Amino acid sequence: MSNSRDNQILILKKEGLYCPAGDFYVDPRGQVKRALITHAHSDHARSGHENYLCSDSCRPLLQIRVGQKNKIESIPFGTKQTIQDAIVSFHPAGHILGSSQIRIEVRGRVWVVSGDYKPQADRTCEPFELVSCHGFISECTFGLPVYRWQPEEEIYDQINRWWKHNKDSGQGSLVFAYSLGKAQRIVAGLDPSIGLIYAHSAVHPFLEHYQNAGISLPEIKKIEKDTVIANGMVIAPPAVEDSSWMKKFRGVKRGFASGWMAIRGPRRRKNIDRGFVLSDHADWPGLIDVITGTGAEVVKLTHGNGDALSRFLGEKGINASVLNESSFREEELD
Amino acid sequence: MKEFSQLFHDLDEATKTNDRLDHLVQYLTDADPKDSIWVCWFLAGNRIKGAIKTSELRTFASERSGLPQWLLEECHDRVGDLAETISLLIASQGEGRGKVGLAELIGKFIEPMVGMEMEQRRENIFAAWDFLGEKDFLPFHKLLTGGFRMGVSKGNLCKALARVGGVQPAIIAQRLAGNWSPKTLRMEGILNPGVDEDRVCQPFPFCLANPLQEEVENLGSVKDWQMEWKWDGIRAQLINRGGTCMIWSRGDESVGHSFPEVMDAGKWLPGDLCLDGEILAWGQEGMRSFSRLQTRLGRKDPGPTILRREPVRFQAYDILRMEGSDLRSLPMEERRKKLEITLSSLPADFPIGLSPLVEGESWTNLAKLRQESRARGVEGFMLKKKNSSYESGRVKGSWYKWKIDPYLADMVVVSAQLGHGKRSNLYSDYSLAVWNEQGELVTVAKAYSGLSDSEIEKVDRFVRKNITGKFGPVRSVKPSMVFEIAFEGARSSGRHKSGVALRFPRIKRWRTDKKIEEADTLETIRGFTGMTGETKLADGTKVDREGNLLLF
Repeated sequence: MSNSRDNQILILKKEGLYCPAGDFYVDPRGQVKRALITHAHSDHARSGHENYLCSDSCRPLLQIRVGQKNKIESIPFGTKQTIQDAIVSFHPAGHILGSSQIRIEVRGRVWVVSGDYKPQADRTCEPFELVSCHGFISECTFGLPVYRWQPEEEIYDQINRWWKHNKDSGQGSLVFAYSLGKAQRIVAGLDPSIGLIYAHSAVHPFLEHYQNAGISLPEIKKIEKDTVIANGMVIAPPAVEDSSWMKKFRGVKRGFASGWMAIRGPRRRKNIDRGFVLSDHADWPGLIDVITGTGAEVVKLTHGNGDALSRFLGEKGINASVLNESSFREEELD
Repeated sequence: MKEFSQLFHDLDEATKTNDRLDHLVQYLTDADPKDSIWVCWFLAGNRIKGAIKTSELRTFASERSGLPQWLLEECHDRVGDLAETISLLIASQGEGRGKVGLAELIGKFIEPMVGMEMEQRRENIFAAWDFLGEKDFLPFHKLLTGGFRMGVSKGNLCKALARVGGVQPAIIAQRLAGNWSPKTLRMEGILNPGVDEDRVCQPFPFCLANPLQEEVENLGSVKDWQMEWKWDGIRAQLINRGGTCMIWSRGDESVGHSFPEVMDAGKWLPGDLCLDGEILAWGQEGMRSFSRLQTRLGRKDPGPTILRREPVRFQAYDILRMEGSDLRSLPMEERRKKLEITLSSLPADFPIGLSPLVEGESWTNLAKLRQESRARGVEGFMLKKKNSSYESGRVKGSWYKWKIDPYLADMVVVSAQLGHGKRSNLYSDYSLAVWNEQGELVTVAKAYSGLSDSEIEKVDRFVRKNITGKFGPVRSVKPSMVFEIAFEGARSSGRHKSGVALRFPRIKRWRTDKKIEEADTLETIRGFTGMTGETKLADGTKVDREGNLLLF
């Protein structure tokens, strides 16, 4: 990219990051011939492309996301595959099940596209792997030092205590969490001895693939017409918050689990009873550790407001800049 | 400190007023009175002044966290609240080494900082950071930066204390009114079920009116109501107790020192009395504009020149105590009679007068009279039910302000600032500009209320993408958004480039259909409010010396 030797490895096109040596895109928009997919979240995995390549454990999730008809190939983590003049491999990103960083090697130069990642422990996905590279394209959703995560055990403890407290005062509990990744991660830490666990129908299709991947989750019930939640716990995607589906849960205490909950303003505006700071992205120390750990000479920041992070890295002698991406959004999903 | 921190976080997390009230009652019941008196003092809107400058706090936090100061500012911009930003950046020391009560903490770390040298303050703050636990940081920094409100109004504080002590909220409110500190008042004093002999120089909680939002005819017979002009002055209570006179403003501030002539006159009134009324700028010719009154505000012990040039008068419209007895439960009609008798034979140039009643046979007649409000320099009518008692705080159904419709103008957003509380990381405070004769946009107002939450978020997104410059906390924004602004009047001001400042500006709606070229001009605004280009103070004779409005 900016480095002249790396000029030809990755190019930013309107569809997204493009590798001319291998004639493929990473997490593209629009319609392309070959798409390499980091993970199955909808802002990275879009339908409409001709061919897909992803990690083995990402594949069933990606199928749900883009439809069965699409042609999806997958390879195990760490396996190198040659695509024309490029050698690519997938490495765990620790974001959600099957999420990958994509390593791209062209004529001896290595670039890594991080996708979304977190180096912190998460019992529902493969642990993050640090990959050495010359150039690193890093997400920076939480690229400010006010974002520092506590270990997930601490957050699980908070959620379970809250659930128990609500139960003891005769109330049900509901936590908003994205249906793929965050929902399963929360469920994995719930204490089923407190009560029954329910999930919105959007969460269910992904569950069996978590079981297949050997991730143990407590029993999760479907919500039927006549279901009474009582003192149970419901997991639902944030999108249903204002829908008529919520009518069933009047008087139920509402929580939201996201890295954005670290700050009081967003937490209070959500009009929820409790915010849990649980993120699937790297926090500030995580970003710094990973970026410096890769040994990359060039760092490009995407997905977030990278100005502060790039200036901070620059002051530490790392050549970092913001990748001018049209998909820039103020608040990434988390 | 642990109990206080817990209260702070409980209040912060609670989304319903009743839940907050419950938490507060619980705290006030359990906590050491030495600590809870401080909580009452903070929630009553007080702060410890001069402990530390925020610029110093920023510097120390930057040193402590090992982060450059520019990055701290970036974080502040995202978080919106300095106390919260610093709390998030200071690395946790775990549980906190020290166990002390709130009062002790204030005595140990906050009060001594007033008057310290900077180097000592640094040591002191670093020691506090070592001492406190992670959960204590935010409440501690809030106390330092003086922003401890936590969604508990003074009225709710009184309600909570009333529940704890089994005392009426009105009595609690009176005990918390005026100047006090945790050194002069104890919890026993606040919660004492007995009578307050020594507090009669304190004001009563003000009875406040709601804006009239329905058709005036719905109020029933006009005969059941007492009508007064709504003055454009400073609401105040005047208390005389055996020749000691005090004047209290609605902010529970003792303001008598700014109005010595009223204080002197008050001593001549019958003993042990409390009047409710309005302080107005008042010359030989009668009432003057609010802007004239401003030259007297906040000025302690004004000299003879200003006293002569800018005289004031206290217009009384209610009597709350007479000969030592509390009259607040009497009907308005009877209080009015007592007030008229008390103020019946005063000399004409006396700086205390009786606010006249407005007579109207029908609502229709009154509505017509109301149209003259602007010409008379008043804001409309006050409607008070004749059988109403004098309540604490904002009452429903018995007191209304029937104000004249505001002026409206379309203005351009030219800069924005982060809001507070719930809006602390949203650009929700805006500077608004109109076109001057040279075709420049000049600011005339700041407004921060009126938009819906979703509109504020939209504006926030626009602002962040269109920042053209930074001036401290202010971000200049590419002129593009047009807001319709409602306001009550205009006066000359050095604060805005236009030389004009609007009174009570608020956002009526976001004119997404208008381009900035269609915004109003400075000339239009001056024209609205009767200001000409040069004569900026709109003064005129509106009331005669007895307080009767002319043109009656």
